[in-house]
Amino acid sequence: MPSGKSSKTVRNARPVVTATKPKPWGTIAAVVAIAVFAVAIFGYMFTRYEDRRAFTPTAGTKDPSTQIQGIVIQNYGAGRGHIGPDKRVAYDHSPPFGGPHDATWAACNGVVYATPVRNENMVHALEHGAVWIAYNPDKITGAALQSLRDRVQGANYLMLSPYPGLDAPISLQAWGHQLKVTDPADKRMDHFIQALRLNQYTYPEIGASCDVLSGLFDPAKPPPFVAAPPGPDAVPLTFSGGRGTSPGDESAPATPGGTPPVPTPPAGG
Amino acid sequence: MNDAMAEAAISSKSSPESAEAPTSATKSPGRWLRVVLASIAVLAVLLLGAALGMSLQLLSGASAQSEGGTVDVGFAQDMSVHHRQAVQMAGMARDRSADPAIRSIAFDIETNQLQQIGQMQGWLSLWNAAALPTGQYMTWMADAESMPGMGHGDGSSGAAGVTTMPGMASPADLEQLRTAGGAQFDVLFLRLMLRHHQGGVPMARYAEQHGETAQVRNLAEKIVVSQSAESDYMMQLITQRGAQPLQPPR
Repeated sequence: MPSGKSSKTVRNARPVVTATKPKPWGTIAAVVAIAVFAVAIFGYMFTRYEDRRAFTPTAGTKDPSTQIQGIVIQNYGAGRGHIGPDKRVAYDHSPPFGGPHDATWAACNGVVYATPVRNENMVHALEHGAVWIAYNPDKITGAALQSLRDRVQGANYLMLSPYPGLDAPISLQAWGHQLKVTDPADKRMDHFIQALRLNQYTYPEIGASCDVLSGLFDPAKPPPFVAAPPGPDAVPLTFSGGRGTSPGDESAPATPGGTPPVPTPPAGG
Repeated sequence: MNDAMAEAAISSKSSPESAEAPTSATKSPGRWLRVVLASIAVLAVLLLGAALGMSLQLLSGASAQSEGGTVDVGFAQDMSVHHRQAVQMAGMARDRSADPAIRSIAFDIETNQLQQIGQMQGWLSLWNAAALPTGQYMTWMADAESMPGMGHGDGSSGAAGVTTMPGMASPADLEQLRTAGGAQFDVLFLRLMLRHHQGGVPMARYAEQHGETAQVRNLAEKIVVSQSAESDYMMQLITQRGAQPLQPPR
């Protein structure tokens, strides 16, 4: 305000009578309006900026998802065992988000699955750093479903699939992490993805691909989801693919997880 | 005291004739008001400045604790995504083409771009920046509009970036590639990959010129050189097969 000083001087020089008269209501209104505008802009940018900052993994905050209300975190370790296409795993959550899995991963490079996909393949994609958005096909339809499709289609390390019988409209999975929400516009979905997708500190197999495993997996005809609970011959969560105790086909060239017992993983979750 | 002043101010406004406030009270409200107004104005300017700073960081994909420059971070994030699609298409060609010339260029592209993704992801990790961009692409390319060959992709464009990077194959393109076979697959792969390179090179050229870190500028420069050479070769392979290249990115 360069004119402030000179006008002040002029004003103070005036006789008392005139000094009582004009109040700069215009100026007051303008300054107040600008201040309100500035506060609003600042508040908006700060909220967005804080969101981004708070949920970006760093060496200091390796797992920012711990701040997300309602998140479920479980340590499944790294490099779990691989099973064959005829086996099932006795997962402890529905949808599952960690544990032994099929040797073939589900394509997770922005794939929108039209039909429910076998859990054992989806869990392998989580090991590769993907976020899996599962939805209850009875509850998420129309515009809500379209918004999920738009978010996932073509996006790196995201996949979307229907999950019959899901106990929430939407459930997000990353390796060792799960969040159930009801609204596809819930900001926590953004936070979850920002915090966990390709988070080098929380997913086991850094650098692993989300592309189609050619000849072994067809995203247009994925192995189907099985609703029935796994039987008594299901592979336990503790299965690490160790030699001699092989409960299934161990074609595990992708991870070194097939060798001896799984070491205690570094704290990642 | 303040209330008294405010009252004096109000009464002086509503009925100036009847305002008989003492001299001392009429002089100081003006000064007081000016100080308050000036403080508010200064505060507003500071807040707007802070908001501008945050918006620039948001656009660049960097964050408060990110130690990378705006162009460095934006380039590494966006080019990782761009490269991943090349790796995806090249992997399909290496697996499925019967033509040795196609298989070898595909293997070359797949392995070199995969390694480059690794370099960029490593930098992002050291800079404490996110592995993937959030929101629009290419927001780090301030004067991109003036660059030749810098298209708008298939998405909307503006100061805030684009929704699709130039040269990227659409989901429909990829589906077509997935279902094609034989010589038809070979030509489709070459055409999509050539256009992909043509879209990526101007992005790399921008980073070569504006990157903050010498290593980033160097990788960008090498991408420009090697992808331009690969583009010439793919153009040759397309012509040899009696086909035409796709329209380069606008």
